[in-house]
Amino acid sequence: MKKKLLALFMATVLSVSVLAGCSKGNDSGVKEITFMVWDDLEASQDLITKGYKDSIDRFNKDYAGQYHCTPVTTNLEEYYNKLNTMVAGGETPDVFIVSPGANMNDYVIPGVAAKLDDYLNKDGWKQTFTSDAVFAGSTYGDEAKNGAGIYAIPLNIAAACVFYNTEMFADAGAEVPETFDDLLAACEKLQAKGYTPITISAGTAWCLSMVAGYLCDRNGLDLNDIKEHKTDWMDSKVINSGKQIQQLSQYFQPTAAGDDNDIATAAFYNGNAAILIQGSWAIGQINGSCEPGFEQKVGVFPFPAVSGSTADPNRVIAKSDSLCMSSTTKNPDAAIALMKYFVDDTAQKYTAEKGGKIPVTNVEYDTTVAPPELAYVMDVFKSANSTFGFYNESLYDTEAGSTFDNCFVEIYNGTDPAEALKPIQQYYEENVWE
Amino acid sequence: MDKLLRRKRYIILFLAPAFILFTAVLFIPICKAVYYSFCDYKTNYPIEFAGFKNYIKLFTKDETMRTAFKNSMFFMVFSCVTQLLFGLILAALLTNIKKGRNIFKNIYYLPCVLSSAALGLLWMFVFTPSLGINKMMESFGWIDDCMNGPQWLFNTEGTIILPIIVISFVALWQYVGQSMMLYMAQMSGISKDIYEAAAIDGCTPTQAFFHITLPLIRPMIATAMSLNAIGSLKFFDLVYNMIPEGFLGNRAHVLATHLYDQAFKFNKLGYGCAIGVVLLIMCLIVTFVINKFVKVDNYDM
Repeated sequence: MKKKLLALFMATVLSVSVLAGCSKGNDSGVKEITFMVWDDLEASQDLITKGYKDSIDRFNKDYAGQYHCTPVTTNLEEYYNKLNTMVAGGETPDVFIVSPGANMNDYVIPGVAAKLDDYLNKDGWKQTFTSDAVFAGSTYGDEAKNGAGIYAIPLNIAAACVFYNTEMFADAGAEVPETFDDLLAACEKLQAKGYTPITISAGTAWCLSMVAGYLCDRNGLDLNDIKEHKTDWMDSKVINSGKQIQQLSQYFQPTAAGDDNDIATAAFYNGNAAILIQGSWAIGQINGSCEPGFEQKVGVFPFPAVSGSTADPNRVIAKSDSLCMSSTTKNPDAAIALMKYFVDDTAQKYTAEKGGKIPVTNVEYDTTVAPPELAYVMDVFKSANSTFGFYNESLYDTEAGSTFDNCFVEIYNGTDPAEALKPIQQYYEENVWE
Repeated sequence: MDKLLRRKRYIILFLAPAFILFTAVLFIPICKAVYYSFCDYKTNYPIEFAGFKNYIKLFTKDETMRTAFKNSMFFMVFSCVTQLLFGLILAALLTNIKKGRNIFKNIYYLPCVLSSAALGLLWMFVFTPSLGINKMMESFGWIDDCMNGPQWLFNTEGTIILPIIVISFVALWQYVGQSMMLYMAQMSGISKDIYEAAAIDGCTPTQAFFHITLPLIRPMIATAMSLNAIGSLKFFDLVYNMIPEGFLGNRAHVLATHLYDQAFKFNKLGYGCAIGVVLLIMCLIVTFVINKFVKVDNYDM
C-alpha cells in the first residue's frame, strides 16, 4: 500500500512539473505580448532590424513590470507561411510586420488585422506622421460603402531610384538622363567606354518587376483602370514597357540572369557597373560593404520619363514596412504602446541616420550623420507628386503579382511582349474581371 | 508465443501503436486533403465546398501544371532508367571486387545521407557560370569566356529545358547509391553454388549476370524502380534550391514545387491539396504498373 501511495505521489509530482512548462499564464501581473518579424533580431547585421530590436528593448525596459514583449522571428522566405500557420492555430502574434498592399489585405479581409483609426486619432498620434499619404498603402476598404480604414502603421519608407557612379558617368561623358531615350544614350556611352552600364538581378523576379512597374507607370498605365477593366494587359502602354525592357536589357551585365540581388548590388559598389536601379534600402548595404569613400561617388536620379507620354514623370515607387495589430489581441493597450516605440523620435532618427530609410514622422535628424545618398533620395522623394507601390504587391493578389513578374521575365528572355503578357491577361480574365 | 498470439487482446495491443500512428499521421491527413481538394480553402478564410472546381482548373486551365507534369514525368523516366542501369552496374562491380568494397560503397552512398538543400546550393555554385564548371572550361581553354559558356541553370530553350536535365543528373549522382545498396543486398543473397555450377557448365561472367543475377534480383528491381519513380514524382528539394526563383518563370516547375507555390506562396491550400491528390494517384498508378509489368518469380536462392 505504501509503495502504491509513493508511486501515485511521484507520478503526480512528475505530471505537475511537466505540465507546469505548458502554462502560459503570468502571475506577476505583467501583460505579455508577442511581436513577429521577418529577420533574426539577435543575429542580423541589417541596420533596420537592429533598430527594431532596440525599440523592443526600450519598450521592455520602460514598461518593466507592466508589459513585456517577446519577439517571434523567422527568415523572410518563411515569414508569411509561419504567420499563416500561427493565425490558423489561433496563436496570432499581437503585433506583426507586413508589406502593405496584397500581403496586408490577406490579413485585413478575413479580420485578422485590427482597424487602427481610433488609436491613431487618439492623443494626436496620427499628427506625428509626415502626412496622410504615408498610410496610403495600409488603408483598406471602400469609403463609399463600409468606410475605409487604416490597418497598419508604417515604420519607414524606401523609394526606388536609380543609383549611379558619378565618376564613370563623367569619364564616359554621360549625362544624368531625364528621359528613357537619354538613359539608353547614356548606357551606350558607358558601354563604349568599356563599362558595364547597368547591374541588375534578372534572377530575382521583383528586381526586374520594379523596372517594369516604373516603365508601365511612365508609359501612363493606371492600375485602377486595369482593376476596373477599363483597359487590359494588352494595352499598348504595357506592350511598350515590355519592348523598352528588351531595349534596356542589352545594357545589363552578362550574368544578370544568374546573379541574385546581393551579387548585382555588389557589382555596383565594387565599381563593376555604372547604374543600379534599386530601392533606397540598398543604401545600408552599399555603405556597409563598399570601399571607404565610395559613397561620395554615388549619385541618385529618379527613374526617367518616357518621351511622348503624358504620365507624371515624378511619381516614385515607395515601399514601407508596416505593423499590424491582431484583432484578437487580449492586450491592445500594450500592443499600441509597443507600436508607438517603432515610430517615436528615437526610432525614426535611427531609421534615417543609420538605416538610410526615409522616416515616416516629422522627426528632425542630423543630415550630416545620415548617409549622403539619403539626401539625394529625399530630394527625389520630396519632388514626387505621388507614390505608387511595387506592381507585384499592388495587383489583385500575390499570385497575380507573381504572374506579372513571370511575364516580364519571359519578355526579358526575348519573348514577344504581346505573347508573354497572355498569362497575366488570362489570370485577370479568370479571377478578377469574371 | 503461439499461446500468446492466440489471445486476441495481445494481438490488438501489438498492432495498436502502428495502427494509431498510421491513422493519425497518414490516413486522416490524406482523407482531409482529399476533402480540402474539393474546397476553396485559404488560410484565415472560411472553407467553402467548391465541387470539382479545383480539378477542372488543374486539368483544363493551368499551364504551369502541364509544364510541371511534363518535367516530373521526365524526372521519373530518367531516374528509373538511369538508376536501374548505373545502380546495377555499380552493384555488380562492387559485389565482385574483393579490395576496397566498403570504401567505394560508402563513397557512392554518401550523397544519399547528405542534406538535399545543402547539395542543391553546392551544385548551384558548381553550375553558376562565373564560379564552377564554366570557369574550369575557361581555364582549360575550351571556351573563351566563362560567361559565354553553357548556361546550365538559365537556358530556357527546348521542350525539356537544360536546368531540368542538369538537375536530373545531380539527382542521379545523389541517389544512385541507394539503388546500388538495394541491388547489392539482393545480389549478396544469391548462393555461390549457382555461379559455381554455371561456371562448370561453361558460363561466362557476363552470361552469369544476365541469366542468373538479373532474374534472381528481379523482385528488388521492382522495389527499387517503384521507390525511384515515387521519389522522382515527389522530387522537390534540388529543384527548389538549384533554380533561382523568378528567372525561369514557371518553366522549371515540377509537381511538388507547383504544389508548394500554390499552397504556401499563394495561400490556395484547396488547390494545393488537389495537386497533392493528383500526385498521390500518380504514385499509386506508377507503383501498380511497375509491379504488374516487372515480372517477379520467386526462386529459392
